[in-house]
Amino acid sequence: MGVQGTTDRAIPGAARGPGAAPPELTARQVRRMKRFDNPWRNPKLIWGAGLLLSIVALGILGRLFWDTDLVFTGSGMPRQAPVGVENIRGQIGSWAHPLGTDVSGKDLLALLIVGAPNSLYVGVLASLIGMSTGIFLGFTAGFVGGRTDDVIRVLSDVMITIPPLLILVVFQAAYGDISLTLMALLIAAFVWQSPTRLIRAQVLSMREAGYVQMARLSGASTGHIMFREMLPNLVPYLFGSFIANVTTSIVTAVGLEVLGLGPQRIPTLGRVIYDAINSGALIQNLWWWWGIPTLLLAVMFIGLLLINLGLDEVSNPRLRRL
Amino acid sequence: MARIPASYMINRLLTLFLTVFIAATLIWIIPRLSPIDPVDVMLGRMAAGGGSIENSGAILTQLRESFGLDQPLVVQYFLYIKNTLTLDFGLSTASFPTPVAQLIGQALPWTLGLMLISLIITFIIGNLLGALMVWENTPRLWKVAIPSAMVMTAIPPLLSGLLLMYVFSSQLGWFPLTGAYGLNVEPGWDAGFAGSVLYHGFLPAMSIVLVTFGFWALGMRGLMITVQGEDYSVLAKAKGLRPRYILYRYMIRNAILPQVTAFALQIGGLVAGQVLVERIFAYPGMGKLLYDAILDQDFPVIQGVSFVIILMTAIAVFLVDLVYPLIDPRIRHGRD
Amino acid sequence: MTVLDIRNISIDFPTSKGVVHAVSDVSLSVPQGRRIGFIGESGSGKTTTALAAMRMLAAPGFVSEGEIHLNALGDTDILALSEEEMRRVRLRKISYIPQGAMNSLNPVMRVETQIWDGILAHEAGVTQAELQRRSDAVLEGVGLDPKIVGRLYPHELSGGMKQRVCIAIGVCLQPDLIIADEPTSALDVITQRHVMQTLREVQARIGAGLILIGHDMGLMAQSVDDLAVLRLGELVEFGPVRQILENPQHPYTKELISSVPLVGGESFLDPTPAEVPKGFTTQDGTPLLELKGVGKTYGAVTALHPMSFTLDGAVPKIISIVGQSGSGKSTMGSLMLGFSPPSTGEVLFKGQDINRIGKADQLTFRKQVQAVFQDPYACFNPFYRVDHALKFPFKRFGLAQSEDHVQEAMEEACRAVGLDPALVLSRYPHQLSGGQRQRLIVARALMLSPNLLIADEPVSMVDASLRSSILKNIHDLKDRHGISIVYITHDLATAYHVSDYVMVLYKGHVVEAGPPKDVIGDPQHTYTRLLIDSIPWPEVGRDWGSADDARAALEELGRIGGTPQTVYRGDIPGFTLRQG
Repeated sequence: MGVQGTTDRAIPGAARGPGAAPPELTARQVRRMKRFDNPWRNPKLIWGAGLLLSIVALGILGRLFWDTDLVFTGSGMPRQAPVGVENIRGQIGSWAHPLGTDVSGKDLLALLIVGAPNSLYVGVLASLIGMSTGIFLGFTAGFVGGRTDDVIRVLSDVMITIPPLLILVVFQAAYGDISLTLMALLIAAFVWQSPTRLIRAQVLSMREAGYVQMARLSGASTGHIMFREMLPNLVPYLFGSFIANVTTSIVTAVGLEVLGLGPQRIPTLGRVIYDAINSGALIQNLWWWWGIPTLLLAVMFIGLLLINLGLDEVSNPRLRRL
Repeated sequence: MARIPASYMINRLLTLFLTVFIAATLIWIIPRLSPIDPVDVMLGRMAAGGGSIENSGAILTQLRESFGLDQPLVVQYFLYIKNTLTLDFGLSTASFPTPVAQLIGQALPWTLGLMLISLIITFIIGNLLGALMVWENTPRLWKVAIPSAMVMTAIPPLLSGLLLMYVFSSQLGWFPLTGAYGLNVEPGWDAGFAGSVLYHGFLPAMSIVLVTFGFWALGMRGLMITVQGEDYSVLAKAKGLRPRYILYRYMIRNAILPQVTAFALQIGGLVAGQVLVERIFAYPGMGKLLYDAILDQDFPVIQGVSFVIILMTAIAVFLVDLVYPLIDPRIRHGRD
Repeated sequence: MTVLDIRNISIDFPTSKGVVHAVSDVSLSVPQGRRIGFIGESGSGKTTTALAAMRMLAAPGFVSEGEIHLNALGDTDILALSEEEMRRVRLRKISYIPQGAMNSLNPVMRVETQIWDGILAHEAGVTQAELQRRSDAVLEGVGLDPKIVGRLYPHELSGGMKQRVCIAIGVCLQPDLIIADEPTSALDVITQRHVMQTLREVQARIGAGLILIGHDMGLMAQSVDDLAVLRLGELVEFGPVRQILENPQHPYTKELISSVPLVGGESFLDPTPAEVPKGFTTQDGTPLLELKGVGKTYGAVTALHPMSFTLDGAVPKIISIVGQSGSGKSTMGSLMLGFSPPSTGEVLFKGQDINRIGKADQLTFRKQVQAVFQDPYACFNPFYRVDHALKFPFKRFGLAQSEDHVQEAMEEACRAVGLDPALVLSRYPHQLSGGQRQRLIVARALMLSPNLLIADEPVSMVDASLRSSILKNIHDLKDRHGISIVYITHDLATAYHVSDYVMVLYKGHVVEAGPPKDVIGDPQHTYTRLLIDSIPWPEVGRDWGSADDARAALEELGRIGGTPQTVYRGDIPGFTLRQG
């Protein structure tokens, strides 16, 4: 029984009187209400997914239509500005390098085409591995309980205190270079804690749910209860958690790359920014070099944020506003 | 009348020790697993760089002994743990023979200052904005403006720092470009010094605040929505309490509880953002120390800084856990 | 003098399927000092109308027509006030006592602080000493010790105490009208009586009008002066409660009154046929279910003291376990279903200890024992259609011969409980009503044909008018399908009609046991007598007693102490019971 609302009055302007018909709802309100029928048609979700898909599209289409060998040094004239813009040397950018080049002649568009999906890849992979681990551990902790639960809980409490960046820094300082996949794996080691907690809490409360008890009475095996009864109802939470973890993973990865760590020979967005800062892009006013990757990063994060908010609204009807 | 159950305290202390222990172990083990033995590299570099320093041979020998570098791994491990617990991290390779602990000791106060200030400001602003996003009495304009501002969370703090620096320092000249305090100011416990510190710390702090407040706001929004649907919010309105009173004493007061726990955890996470901000503003904190150490491949410093940061986070978590029962009476009485 | 005047109120809720008329053209007046009851089932609009008077309708509901006038404001329409003006009206002129006080108090504030902030929100310049004095007085007025309770936090209070604190808050500014929204629905019968009597006393003392919202005809009969009967948003009958009980006019009112089973009244069940299908029999007379010295403790708390009984399944019976919350009745259900092992003793089903059997035998056990639980909504997995709950066990227990067979069996079971399979089976749980879902659970039990059924509060969350038909369905399981049933409930009246044997539990002890006519019709144990006295009967002549009576009863209960004596009122063939 929800009890809030600042207007209990009829929609202002409508004629009222004994026997009058209820006021007509505006067309906008009708559209909004229809939206509630299918919560998946949520503008935030759609925009967010759209933004992310455009990044993926950039990666796929870009490889088809643009020469990715241009990521290598000397592919073009150095310090070129984007098309139509003039750099400090008075040279005007050309279509040969629509987004300009960096200080060693690498084509920025090529860097982005390769780099942006790479950053997304790390985030998604780390989140997938982290979530799977989290689901497994969370279910085990919630279902089995007892000592196992204690161990898992303490372990996750401890690990959550350790910032992944630092361990990654230590790791890289010792090993030199690191591959994209390995970085993703390491990040995943720090991402499983919150899904574990989330799922454990859900499992603990679902264990007492009526339909779980009915399943037990129906002779269901533990496996059936976990995967066929509980898991489908967890999906909204899992999805939201997944997206949040993708964001955190990308942030961690970018944080590492911007420090000059991370994969040394593979283009990633963070690396491009690092190169820019370190090569004096600021002083030489090569704004496109660090600005456009930042923009892409921003697009990625905004997309993820929108999906997150959209999923929130799907799983929690109270958030939907008329 | 706060009676914190003894079992709760013991539990938290245990977690603290375990965290510190596992962190130290991780930091020690990871390099040891690498094919290139960084210890040898480190020593080599120290020997090379120490040529011009007196007694470098003696210093190196002492280092070898205290860390047991010629002994079997197990012994090395225990010596390492013992040294770490006494905050002895060895000597810096880049600034040989300065002890790492000394470098950290110089940088730590600045980081603590900057970090605490930014964290507190972010916490207050972020949570307040998150709450306002949900409150029914917030003017409509704000409800649109806040999520738009949250978009800034997407920007790496590096760039917000650059932007602020560009606008406020280079162009407008309102704030200084670099340093923790003015060039002609003497460090000391006086108002002049404190003022200078605040003045210099403002832009770095702001660049962190701008990009991290969104995280708090988002979390608070979710919590406030849950609280808004609770029965006590309903009764609060039925009692005819003033809306602002309900917002603070009924809604925020309840929603903020999980955020307080998250507050402590953020300390570790904040360092990532601070590293670059400190570098741009040449702020002599732990972030800059770490960055320079990465560049110089100064391994002992990297290890030392990492450990200290984890230690700080773990202690912060512990302290917050101690304080938590004071703000949530349900925990106070033994219920978990 | 009229305190509140509701004139032609209509309330609408826009939904994606069109506008729902939650309340249609309701008018009534509340005179000063008079108690009006709003009775109806879910969806009747009773709560919505009252909330409109508080201007606290849930968005997107709105009042499409009508006015509500509060006498204290002159002739102003409440609905036309500004937000700030309305805020000042709340608690001072109209106060609200919420449903289910479990969560209605701010968990981080002490009790007395929550009374103070109500006062401070409406009065300026009240000193601390004055606040303390007033909160102490109002807490005493509801029978709570202000020195102790005032300083406590809500989670330290029991349900009844929390509800009384909410009453205290509701009267601290002596409003003209109190709206009490199902204030006792989560409380057990004895506490309910105490709380209601307290409310009546307090209301009479300050001379306020009272609107009591509820669905329990008996509670209304004991607590209000006039009764408004609401159905689907319309006011179908209004008048003095005695008159309505004695001479109801509208058919719906008649239905509501007749759906409440009375102890000693006519039975709503069909009489048992002469030929009843046999239940479970063996050569050597192994009982169907046997508890040997079974007890359960959770840490330091004893939920159930050791007790034993034997249920012989040959002639199917219904055994009732009656008790309030905390009595141990749910624990017994859980033990019988094998959901938790007993701390002492053994639970034997068909001679086997159910906590010691192997995997294969476990499946057989599950096949032979089924249950119906309290919350029909929670028993269906919201992810699947409702037929999943029926198909899965049928197949799992190997009862299915083919897909068609499964479909046939489901449809037959639905029809047997009065449901149309075509309308119901392919739906999702949220698309069905509570009554339909509960019937489906009974149908499921029917399909699986167990030997034993545990029914744990099967009708307490179902609308009153449907209760007797669902109980009939359950009773048919015994009469027509030879299933023995253990019926766990807090409702003595239904236990009276449905069972062959009754045991009354209090704090984990069996305090009285025997045939229902003896135990419930003529109770001898103090506790049973107390229970019977505390039930609100929809009988005009029968009075509940004053608040002092209720308090005295509670004190007597406290005196019964830790080990109450068991009163045995006689065994029946096929069932024996002993404490210990």
